[in-house]
Amino acid sequence: MDNKRLLAAIAISIGILLLFDVWNRPAREAQRQAAQNVQQSQTTGQPLPQGNTALNPAGVASTSPNDGAPTTPAPRIRIQSPRLEGSVNLRGARIDDLVLRDYRETILPGSPNVRILAPREDNASYFAQWGWTAADGRTAIPGPNTDWTADGTLTPTTPVTLRWDNGAGQRFEIALSLDTNFMVTAEQRVVNTGAEPVQVLPWARVRREHTPHLAGYYILHEGFVGVIDGRLREWKYADAKMEAQRRNGAPAFESDGPGGWAGFTDKYWLAAVLPADQSAPSHAAFRATQENGQDRWQVDVTPTGAMTAAPGATAAYGTRMFAGAKEVKLLDAYTTDLHIKDFYSAVDFGYFWFLTKPFFYALDWIYGVVGNFGIAILIFTVALKALFFPLASKSYQSMARMKALGPKMQEMKERNKDDPAKMQQEMMAIYKAEKINPAAGCLPILIQIPVFFALYKVLFVTIEMRHAPFFGWIRDLSAPDPTNLFTLFGLIPWDAPAFLHMPAWAIIMGITMFIQFKLNPTPPDPIQAKLFSFMPIIFTFMLASFPAGLVIYWSWNNLLSVAQQYYISRHDRQTQRLEKAAARP
Amino acid sequence: MSSASFAAEALKIGVRTYQFTLRPFIGAHCRFHPHCSAYAIEALSEHGALRGTAMTARRILRCNPWHPGGYDPVPAAKTS
Repeated sequence: MDNKRLLAAIAISIGILLLFDVWNRPAREAQRQAAQNVQQSQTTGQPLPQGNTALNPAGVASTSPNDGAPTTPAPRIRIQSPRLEGSVNLRGARIDDLVLRDYRETILPGSPNVRILAPREDNASYFAQWGWTAADGRTAIPGPNTDWTADGTLTPTTPVTLRWDNGAGQRFEIALSLDTNFMVTAEQRVVNTGAEPVQVLPWARVRREHTPHLAGYYILHEGFVGVIDGRLREWKYADAKMEAQRRNGAPAFESDGPGGWAGFTDKYWLAAVLPADQSAPSHAAFRATQENGQDRWQVDVTPTGAMTAAPGATAAYGTRMFAGAKEVKLLDAYTTDLHIKDFYSAVDFGYFWFLTKPFFYALDWIYGVVGNFGIAILIFTVALKALFFPLASKSYQSMARMKALGPKMQEMKERNKDDPAKMQQEMMAIYKAEKINPAAGCLPILIQIPVFFALYKVLFVTIEMRHAPFFGWIRDLSAPDPTNLFTLFGLIPWDAPAFLHMPAWAIIMGITMFIQFKLNPTPPDPIQAKLFSFMPIIFTFMLASFPAGLVIYWSWNNLLSVAQQYYISRHDRQTQRLEKAAARP
Repeated sequence: MSSASFAAEALKIGVRTYQFTLRPFIGAHCRFHPHCSAYAIEALSEHGALRGTAMTARRILRCNPWHPGGYDPVPAAKTS
């Protein structure tokens, strides 16, 4: 009766949601269209904005011609390495065109490579840039529209140098070099041939002129990230925006410290800048600003004070810029080889890093052996279960002796059948008197929670699961299972709304969970017990949109729990039978 | 409400949340009566945040397969 009512309530709720979605869809489309139009009109024919008010004070702005968009196409030189392809924009000395050759957007063959940095003309403008601020207020510095000169192609074997002469006695140079992975090293030099000393503040920045599409999961950090002043700093875009507004446009976060790094992290990608000399004092800031109603995000690093170039001398400042995939081993290598403070923490291993990191290495090792990340997940889960097996089996050993107590228990239950609390109490008293107990206890269960959460987290954050295939229809473990019950797995040509997505693996997960719950003891409280019986349904819907790899892991974990309990209780029955046979004359 | 009892209330809400979210999921495996979570709520009400937490921690540590378990109520607070 109660169940029927609940099912009816669920059915009606789904119906309302469905109606709302259908009714609302045209409105949403129109809204998106409008937003796109606005964006386009803003990016075309708009002057290059002065990015950073603090670093480019108003007094200096006059030296950089900012008025009107430049009419000639920006000169560029190519970037080419085994893993990167793109170009350096010589107008403004920025890298705003970079794709990762090893990674593709989708699993389809011929899908475009993942673009990490994109030019201003693009709707997803994202770039790294090097420049100076005139700390003395009079030195002519290169501006955002300055055309630099350079020759050649930037490759791991051929560095390039960008040059610009301010015509007032100072030569500016940016020497760029590239390694075989994702790291660009830049040296900014001011060669002073004038008669007066000049004071400049060199800076390197990564600027993002749109808010990326966020995966939006609680257990995953996306946004500003960096190790500044020795500590890992993580700011979500929304939080940084709020803090910057509260501080009237000042950086949401800034700090001095030796070394460190700062950038933007997506689920799998990172773009960051850092001082090349990790022992020298440096300054880093996270900034959130608005420009024509558009959000602009920026991280920058500078020396802690202006640099002076005496007449005939050179003031140099070295930085690095990482733009690429957050491969755990690569980040580890940069951390040790380039002595970058905690660079590996760009991968969000969370509070349980002491568990998640070893788990990752174990998984990666198994993956190296078996060659499939899905299989590696299954094997590693079995290993974890085996580790906890003695704890589980210990508790079931007393099961046999429990059975002998059956009649006594039955009698006690009869006596107290109207008072469940009293029954529990007496039952526990019997357990204590007979020195047996069927439950494992809370401690062994609580110990397992962080362990399985840690595994879940590893599977969620690591790039190794991205585009990794499994059996059958699963061709990307990091994406939701594409099959859908509501289209009868493709038989009905119907574009089901997003919330009506019920993939095959989620259903398998729901069934395994249901069986496992059947074997678990129910909570003593009747309301909790009721909730308990609906948990598999709730979780099936909740996990429907989760990465397939996690749903497969969860199903497998449930299945192993069931198998373990089945094995233990069968083993138990056998020993009992043997005991009985031995007792017979 | 004093800050101490506020802390106890906050902790109790935490335990209640556990009872309705995580617990159905991992199952009730307690070897004692009352169960550890019920014990925690009672201990927090009777003895406050600090002592209540300490008592709960001790209780959970005892709730392992090497302890006989059984009936183990929260000791009454001393009324002086």
